[in-house]
Amino acid sequence: MAGKSGRTISATPEKVWKKQIFSWEGILVVIFLGVIILCKILSPNYTFANVLREMPKYLSEIFLLFPMAYILMLGEIDISVGSIVCLSATAGCMVSNAGVPFGGVVLAILLVGAVCGAVNGLILTQFPELPSMIVTLGTQIVFRGIAEIALGSGGSVSLSNTEGFWMIAGKAGPFPYVFFLVILSAVVFTVISSKMKYGRSLYAIGSNRQTAFYSGIKVKKVIFTAYTVMGLFAGIAALFLTSALYGANTTTGKGFEMDAIAMAVFGGIATTGGKGRMAGGVISAFVIVCLRIGLGQINMNSQLILVIIGILLVCAVLLPNITGSIKIRKKTN
Amino acid sequence: MEKKSIWKRITDSREASLVIVLILLCAAVSIKNPAFLTLNNIAEILKNNAVTMILALGMLCVLLIGGIDISIASTLAFAGMSVGLLFKFGYLESTILGFLLALVIGAACGLIIGLVIGKGKVTPIIATMGFMYIYRGLAYVVGNSQWAGADALGNFKDFALESYLGFGVINNVIMVTVICYVIFFIIMKWTKFGRSIYAVGSNAEAAEISGIHVARVKIAVYTIMGLLSGLCGALATTVYASAQPDMQTGKEMDVIAACVIGGVSMSGGKGSVAGALLGSLVLAVIAKALPLVGIDSLAQNTVKGVLIVVVIILNVITKRVMDRRNLEGREM
Repeated sequence: MAGKSGRTISATPEKVWKKQIFSWEGILVVIFLGVIILCKILSPNYTFANVLREMPKYLSEIFLLFPMAYILMLGEIDISVGSIVCLSATAGCMVSNAGVPFGGVVLAILLVGAVCGAVNGLILTQFPELPSMIVTLGTQIVFRGIAEIALGSGGSVSLSNTEGFWMIAGKAGPFPYVFFLVILSAVVFTVISSKMKYGRSLYAIGSNRQTAFYSGIKVKKVIFTAYTVMGLFAGIAALFLTSALYGANTTTGKGFEMDAIAMAVFGGIATTGGKGRMAGGVISAFVIVCLRIGLGQINMNSQLILVIIGILLVCAVLLPNITGSIKIRKKTN
Repeated sequence: MEKKSIWKRITDSREASLVIVLILLCAAVSIKNPAFLTLNNIAEILKNNAVTMILALGMLCVLLIGGIDISIASTLAFAGMSVGLLFKFGYLESTILGFLLALVIGAACGLIIGLVIGKGKVTPIIATMGFMYIYRGLAYVVGNSQWAGADALGNFKDFALESYLGFGVINNVIMVTVICYVIFFIIMKWTKFGRSIYAVGSNAEAAEISGIHVARVKIAVYTIMGLLSGLCGALATTVYASAQPDMQTGKEMDVIAACVIGGVSMSGGKGSVAGALLGSLVLAVIAKALPLVGIDSLAQNTVKGVLIVVVIILNVITKRVMDRRNLEGREM
């Protein structure tokens, strides 16, 4: 389980099947099924096709989850991604309005995102004493500030040439293209984090940076890459967001960083680093998206949905801690 | 140990260097625009930034124990909305009761956060992120798509215009800020509670062993933060003469930025009331000064962000230089 105490109490290893079901991922799958059943009861319109139709609105946020999970595994945090999404979307709209072909627009959006991420990475690796929270707080203000300057006094820009964006917002059968891309990235990120050298070094750095450094892991390189990828994926999110909104304004992407962190934490990825699995993050992302769509269908106030997600988040981190401390008390008595 | 020269003492002290920066900043702006350093203008700056300045006090305590609280703007909106709507529908008429209610709501919100963090052992950023959603959502739910405008607030909004707390000279809002700072200065410097906050922040385990109830200190600190957020909810409602569910969104980042510029360490144990004051003053002066010296107000956020990044990087560089110098001194 996600709690710290689970590991120290039992010296004898638990049975494998028990571990699988009672792991946080197993519980999340149960919650996922529960959410679907609940929404089905609440709303008669909650069908597979309807959910898929509404999904693209939320899917662009899931792109932010994958690299955010990596950064949390490192024990760092990035609260500037919402602003990177805003800046990339603004840049994309402006480049597109200037008459650049769609390929160039995509390149510009991704490049702006990656550069912003690299700036974060560069500051954090050059000055490792600085907490990532405060550095990305600064860049959060700067990136959105640059977008504000670029957008001028009107504060918004709309696409004049929507052709290319219209194309990527298309569908193959009932599935929107972006859905496939999300699944593909989920698989790639899961494999990297659990099987590849880079993924394992993420956990190593997150558990103990000093030890990781002395055992030959290039800590700075890993951190820099993680932040650059974060920026790149913020660019991808901006691309699909623009294809849904056909424009950008100063509030584009506001709060995305918190949503991405919430998804990861709900998925059992601890902000203290070195813990959690990508699969949990992906399942929890779909739990939150499906819940939002379902509650949206019964016309629940979108702010009340936020309250529910907030309560879920607090309970998800609180419960393992409480059960853990009860277990410890039982053992000591 | 040799005695430090005055010059060295000034450059070593974060607060002193901030005072110099502040003076230089004010001087530069008032050369460009003499209207800046008038009493009216200064009072205006203080009044408009009272919320940030007061919240910086609470954030100072939270950062000192190594925590963080990003739910303060939501607590503020929840308290402000509740009070504003009660005035609107005529359930409340007395200004004092309005403030008391806001304080109670804020403290209750903070207490819940404190229990989750202190007793539940949840990471502060995650817990307060959850409550950021919850309290902001509650502000909307309480509002039920209504808001309280100037005409609905009655005599409550007059609080920010009158000056009976300041003996008819100083505006009420500024007076509240001053009182808060005096109280916190005394608490943080000379009381057992204030010193135990520093102790918990420097080394929580050592503090626990030496008899400080760490969990209780944490709960108290987050409750104080909530209390101040509630107070600021009422203040913001009177200053801007309106209560809306989305009031002061993103304020938490301004407050954290003010503390960091004021030399409060994000890892706990380091920081002072004077630092929090100077940090929020620097931010306030810059925000006011940019349009006066002819920089477009659109660029305000960029300048603020760059300033934060530059300040923290400069901090690291000076610390590195100092460490190296100390090492060299030892080798001789």
